[in-house]
Amino acid sequence: MGLLEYLREQGINPQSEGGVLSLTSGEQVEVVINPASLNVSVAEQQRRKMLIVHTSADTSNMVFDVSPCSSLQIIDVYLGGCFADVTMRQQAGSVCDVISVVTSGAIADYTVDLNGKQASNALRSVFLSRGEERCKVGVRVNHFYSDCVSNSLVKGVAGEQSTGEFNGMVYVAQDAQRTDARQNSRNIELGREAKIITKPQLEIYADDVKCSHGATVGQLDGEAVLYMRQRGLSETQARRLQIEGFVKDIVYSSSEFGEVLAEELNAILEQIQ
Amino acid sequence: MLSVKNLCASIGEKQILRGINLEVRAGEVHAIMGPNGSGKSTLASVLAGNEKFTVTDGSVEFMGRNLLELSIEDRARMGLFLGFQYPVEIPGVTMANFMKMAVNEHRKFRGEEPLAAGEFLRMMREKSAVVELDSKLTNRAVNEGFSGGEKKKNEIFQMAMLEPKLAVLDETDSGLDIDALRIVATGVTKLHTAENATVVITHYQRLLDYIVPDYVHVLYKGRIIYTGDKTLALKLEKEGYDWLINDYKE
Repeated sequence: MGLLEYLREQGINPQSEGGVLSLTSGEQVEVVINPASLNVSVAEQQRRKMLIVHTSADTSNMVFDVSPCSSLQIIDVYLGGCFADVTMRQQAGSVCDVISVVTSGAIADYTVDLNGKQASNALRSVFLSRGEERCKVGVRVNHFYSDCVSNSLVKGVAGEQSTGEFNGMVYVAQDAQRTDARQNSRNIELGREAKIITKPQLEIYADDVKCSHGATVGQLDGEAVLYMRQRGLSETQARRLQIEGFVKDIVYSSSEFGEVLAEELNAILEQIQ
Repeated sequence: MLSVKNLCASIGEKQILRGINLEVRAGEVHAIMGPNGSGKSTLASVLAGNEKFTVTDGSVEFMGRNLLELSIEDRARMGLFLGFQYPVEIPGVTMANFMKMAVNEHRKFRGEEPLAAGEFLRMMREKSAVVELDSKLTNRAVNEGFSGGEKKKNEIFQMAMLEPKLAVLDETDSGLDIDALRIVATGVTKLHTAENATVVITHYQRLLDYIVPDYVHVLYKGRIIYTGDKTLALKLEKEGYDWLINDYKE
């Protein structure tokens, strides 16, 4: 079952602007569909969880103001070639958790402003491109204050003649001592004509920081494909299983939507030659 | 069951197998020994269908079919199992998921329905007991973070799940401590029946204390230069290969 079908089943019309989902855990998730612009403020001490679904090729401008000691979880899903600008402004002690799934040639640019001490941000994103698409995920994390933590992991898969791009930047201001920032870009090119462009960058002006960044671009492991085929799987199955394994930790980090998100990606993988 | 005639294979320009002849019948256990670089692993890989190698001459018949024209996966589904010398780690792919697909592909090939979830789990539990494999490992990613011993046990566990007609075990004993060797070897013995056959490639006689071979072949420079019974392995352990190789050189 794909995401839209799931929403429909939960009584939310994918053609509408969204609604509220009540999970079996009792938790509530605000669903927003195709927002051209969105301004969300999370009040102090508040906890919010939002699922944002982009199905069209429009632009989307989203701003999240996250007050001191509040928390926000966003699951941001691109099923259409949307151009999105997403800004998170986090106050002291706030926690933001972003899971993003980018497909269909969408471009998602995330900016995280850590505007107070001890704010933390975790962003996990996966992009998957096929055909002639060009998918892009940008992540800029600005550490303006001391003692903040950020961790971004972006996984990319490019198939056929498509291009997948990651542009990352961690900025650490002079006063942002004891910053702990990580940025990791891991990518797989599925074929000779597929292309990955990755640009992990750091700009550090403070001296007492822990920062790391890394990027890898590789192909599917031929030995693993051979191993799986020796056990009776077809080459297609073996390749798909390996890609699923690669992106799984990202989509399943959203425990409620893991399965439907995995299903969305599988539907795309099935089309890749 | 398996009939190899004058099999020659190369990798790139390099000729590795130079005319292998081997007949394996149901119920038999064959051991293939030989110095490093003699072509033992290549023989296993060529039988499994590894596309890195080119077959330049000869024929292989398996269960009445021309093995060489089948894909890797069809060979597997027909009942050819290769126990890898270096089992591959596959991050993110759980053993349970992988085995479910493998078992069901085998069933589909035989025209059978896929296994129901409950039945499959029961089978997993039952078969992991054959090699005393911790059932927790089946929830983990394939071979990822497994110890050397666990990886080899996992190979035999998969063999138990897939119930092959012919298992070719490539140095399944390498890197095992004494207890793990006993568990792996007795596992293989438990799986042996009058209907299936096993070919073990090994450097050590030790393994053959458990898996008692009907034939021991010595492979050297891409040919089987000598075939004997189980006492040959004991003699080789004591005297090495020199007497054979010298013989062969003359």
